[in-house]
Amino acid sequence: MKNSVTKKHQRMVAFILVCIISLSMCTSCGIKGTVAEKDGKTVISVGSWPQKSGPSLEKIERQKAEFEADNPDVIIQPDSWTFDLKTFYPKAEAGLLPTLYYTFFTELAQVINAEYAADITAVLNKRGYKDKFNPKIMDLISRDNKVFAFPYSAYVLGLAYNTELFRQAGLMEADGTPKQPKTWNELAEFAQKIKQATGKAGFVFPTANNVGGWIFTCLAWSFGVKFIDKNAEGKWIATFNSPECVEALQFIKDLRWKYDVLPANTLIDGNEYYKLYATGNAGMLIAAGDVGKKCAPYEMPVDHIGIMALPAGPARHVTLMGGGVYLIANNATEKQKDAAVRWIEKRGYGYELTEDAKQTIENNIKEELEKGYIIGIKSMSVWAEDTEIEKYKNAMIEKYANSNMNHVRLYNEFVQNRNVEVQPEEPVCAQDLYGVLDNCIQEVLLNENADCARLIENACNDFQVNYLDNLDY
Amino acid sequence: MSTQPGIEKQRVKVKHKVARRNNIEGWILMLPMVIVLYLMIWRPTVMGAIWSTFRMKGYTPHEFIGLRNYIEVVKDTQFLPTLWNTVMYVFWSLVVGYLPPVILAIMINEMVHFKNGFKIVLYLPQIVPGVAALLMWYYIYYPDSSGLLNFFLAKFGIDPYIWLNDGRFTILYIVISMTWSGFAGTMVLYYAAVQSISSELYEAAIIDGAGMLKRVRYVTIPQLSGVLLLTFVRQIISVFQVVEQPLVMTGGGPNGASTSLGYQLYKYGFVNGRAGHAMALGVIIFFILITLTVLYMRLNKKVEENY
Repeated sequence: MKNSVTKKHQRMVAFILVCIISLSMCTSCGIKGTVAEKDGKTVISVGSWPQKSGPSLEKIERQKAEFEADNPDVIIQPDSWTFDLKTFYPKAEAGLLPTLYYTFFTELAQVINAEYAADITAVLNKRGYKDKFNPKIMDLISRDNKVFAFPYSAYVLGLAYNTELFRQAGLMEADGTPKQPKTWNELAEFAQKIKQATGKAGFVFPTANNVGGWIFTCLAWSFGVKFIDKNAEGKWIATFNSPECVEALQFIKDLRWKYDVLPANTLIDGNEYYKLYATGNAGMLIAAGDVGKKCAPYEMPVDHIGIMALPAGPARHVTLMGGGVYLIANNATEKQKDAAVRWIEKRGYGYELTEDAKQTIENNIKEELEKGYIIGIKSMSVWAEDTEIEKYKNAMIEKYANSNMNHVRLYNEFVQNRNVEVQPEEPVCAQDLYGVLDNCIQEVLLNENADCARLIENACNDFQVNYLDNLDY
Repeated sequence: MSTQPGIEKQRVKVKHKVARRNNIEGWILMLPMVIVLYLMIWRPTVMGAIWSTFRMKGYTPHEFIGLRNYIEVVKDTQFLPTLWNTVMYVFWSLVVGYLPPVILAIMINEMVHFKNGFKIVLYLPQIVPGVAALLMWYYIYYPDSSGLLNFFLAKFGIDPYIWLNDGRFTILYIVISMTWSGFAGTMVLYYAAVQSISSELYEAAIIDGAGMLKRVRYVTIPQLSGVLLLTFVRQIISVFQVVEQPLVMTGGGPNGASTSLGYQLYKYGFVNGRAGHAMALGVIIFFILITLTVLYMRLNKKVEENY
């Protein structure tokens, strides 16, 4: 009797569990994928749609109405999700990514390798983008001659400085042009002058959450470091256990123990990094052209923001390239891909200087002015050749400049005269490399007796064993 | 006589029918919770364990690779230092954080005046949002003269100290902030348990001439032993999974000194795009915790049997 009751219980539990499993599988099947067509029209969802009412939302809603009127075969569906690695993978796996979304160069390799970005080669060729993109950017956005992203902005790292601290340290010309440190040692001397004159840290270098490693790679390239290379069998090998890399790390160590120009805090992530600069507690930092945007939350006066060329190292004058790209979800149909690229063009990021593009460029600058960003810093072109659209953009930047253009002139020349080598991030395991290098940087800044050669040797070994040896490609 | 078995059969039938109906009602009542548990806990746990044996492309299982993810995680040169750090988090949390809630609960219980006011004051840290509390402690520990602790040190003419930057004690300082944020919740548990101890036991102890310390030693502690055991195991389990504190306060530094297994898992999953490694490490943490819990329970059973 008891046995039969137990069996009945077991059967019931099993039945309920089967129901739950089936139900949940059905639910997950149901949510997989987004609607590609409605009433015979192609539907594309567009990420990062503004939520707050205001000029941004009004502008994009107006563009949406115009676009849908000009392209009656397309429906735009707004989606507020903005790229973030923490939410990206679950959304991608559930098939819930917006058809069109954007991310940054730093995350691009992860997304392409995970196969969550659609191959858009055909649609780009069809719409006349073949050979139009900057070849250095093409290397980043393509794999095996297939293009996976549409770049819309590009920048390079420069040397940002606080104009007020520079002035107090006697490092500014009367017209607002800063003195340019030509080498890393000169930079250290400038930093000492700032500290002596103002009592503030002359220079700040990031150390945590992979930001330190990211900046360090650029500095190390200028010392002649090559971080990874493929051997004859096609296997990736860590190659930075070299005197050049030790020398680069020694420079960071000297900033603390020889020149004593760094802030007291050694655990500096991206937020702390910009905060120290924006609040006037650091004279210089290595940053990209978007430094004004990063400093805006701290209400740094735009007149205090300046940026110039990155100093040269003993081996090379090189800088790191970054930027933003549009991606199309991997489950998009050909029609959706085509509609998405048309929408990118409508937004003003296409190759042609259309009326829409002009309007977008001017509106974007006006919006940035309203947000209190500095206007005047120019960026690198995503296109292979000088284009009308780039010329127009630069003209608008000059027209609406809201601080002394001499504060940023050296950076603008640095970006645009192309005398400097521009290098993208390391092609594989870049984030892992940054994490490993973060540890080295923290150690040399905290331990006066740290052995740079041993640290680099261990870091190189760790990077090889923990990451490169596990690569499948 | 012949009708007796029939009635008995009928009675059993009715009894079963009622039991079945109760059973179904019970299941219906439980169903929403079971579904939530299934979707949020059981399924992800089982799928995580299964997918940890796959090479992942993003969050999509791509190719079965057996234990390769586990081997790579364990072979990682940072695995043992990180495991040791995690053990140190647990160790310091037991040293610093285990007793204060008990002591405070007993103190409040013994208080005659201002009991409620004291309870509210002690509970305040619990209502400070987690990340806000961590950021507050970040600035308390800030290593230049603008940090609160260094501000006080300066009043005594002492040079600023680097606090969280001092890799030897980073975990201890983090644990102090964790204890500040979390002790009130545990204290309430203890206080409820202390309140439920029969007053007759205390009266008998007083008649026997026991002072406050002896009452605590011979009445309160033995009566709290169940809750003490529960919180001990809970504390080990929760501290072993520490993520937010190193994430917000130190980024796992300096030089990996505060990186925990949980934070390493977070980095695998959300920074470095290695979902397979993250899931393998999750399973490893799961088994470490299960082993620790079972070991502790058995040990405790033996100890109890001896008394």
